[in-house]
Amino acid sequence: MKLAKYVKFRQEKFGGVLFETRSEKVYALNPTAAAVVREIQAGTPEDAIPARLKADFDADEAAQIDREAAAFADQLREQGLVVEE
Amino acid sequence: MDQHPGQGGSAETAGIRPQTATPGATTSGALGAPLYLAWQLTNECNFACLHCIEESGPGRAFKDEMTDQQVFATLRQAIDLDVPYISLSGGEPMVHPRFFDLVAYASERGAQLKIETNGQYLTKDACQRLKQLEVKSVQVSMDGASRETFNKMRVRGDFDAVVQGIRNLVEAGVPLEINYSPTKFNTHEIGRAIDLAYELGAQNFYTGRTMYTGNAVKTWHMLVPSNDQYMHCFNTLHLKRIEYAGRMRVHFHEMGLLQEMRERLENPAALLVVLPNGLVKLINALPFVCGDLRTDSLAQVWANFQNAWQDPRVAEFVAALEQDPAKTAELHHWIYV
Repeated sequence: MKLAKYVKFRQEKFGGVLFETRSEKVYALNPTAAAVVREIQAGTPEDAIPARLKADFDADEAAQIDREAAAFADQLREQGLVVEE
Repeated sequence: MDQHPGQGGSAETAGIRPQTATPGATTSGALGAPLYLAWQLTNECNFACLHCIEESGPGRAFKDEMTDQQVFATLRQAIDLDVPYISLSGGEPMVHPRFFDLVAYASERGAQLKIETNGQYLTKDACQRLKQLEVKSVQVSMDGASRETFNKMRVRGDFDAVVQGIRNLVEAGVPLEINYSPTKFNTHEIGRAIDLAYELGAQNFYTGRTMYTGNAVKTWHMLVPSNDQYMHCFNTLHLKRIEYAGRMRVHFHEMGLLQEMRERLENPAALLVVLPNGLVKLINALPFVCGDLRTDSLAQVWANFQNAWQDPRVAEFVAALEQDPAKTAELHHWIYV
């Protein structure tokens, strides 16, 4: 999985933004979502992303990471923001 | 994950633990830089269009336009700040002597570029070069579906040459967008213009209400569509949007400028409008200037931009527009905020 050609990601203090430049739509990401996108950019396989993220979040948040990362990846796909490699 | 179009619009919530990020709420440091630079490279143009917002035309370059050094310095800052999207317009951007150098510089460093052109210089060679440089899209102004209406609007322009330029663009594989300004003498062609845009290979078709500013102030009596004409135009647009769904996006702003301004006051887009002389406007439809890229860094201008929207003069100007819509004629009388 990788970001689609016309999608740009930028790190922000609040997390990050994805900009789909064809439709000129902007998606504001919270820190968790931004971390997922950073992993996608780094080439981390989708099924390995939750494990990578858990290290960076506290225990309470880690419990939700698996579900949320998978749901977020599905949303990225539905919006056409990522494509399969 | 909140979504809002780059030039304003409503947000929808999706994604995990979403947070809003609108430039209007960035005093707490939401967006660190603009998302979009709408850059008017030069005011020089080979056309002298009846409605031109910028009053561009032959010999109309500003005397104080940015030097090449200043232009490249600004572009470098935009890339360093990771501004993801830059549009180059004018005037006619392709008459800028360093046009292709600028496109190459930005593209090679990852910026996505949109070129807004009148289409007259879209030769086969130019289009192949734009393709090689991977510009995101080229938007061509085509205000009519016939030679008669196009040439009336686009003084010095030639419909056939522009259509050939569009064909060259599509043949080269560059994504095409069409922009259309409605007038009293072309609204009857809006449906045919959309059909033509699709036949030519456009992916997006943009239109809205023609603004009372720039050259249009002097030619308004020749331009302004009647309410009935606008109604017909927007009805057709609604139908065409449905007809072309999934094949070509038909974008239009039915609301007037005033309504748009009110929305912008509440939720300014993360967009800087850069004039050929480096002055930066809050938005093209307001006279307010929040920086000068010949002397200020892009980061400074972005900080000014966020504060400037809170300046009471901005809201006062928008309120005054309610009483006197003709105040849009003053958009080139810059006010520094």
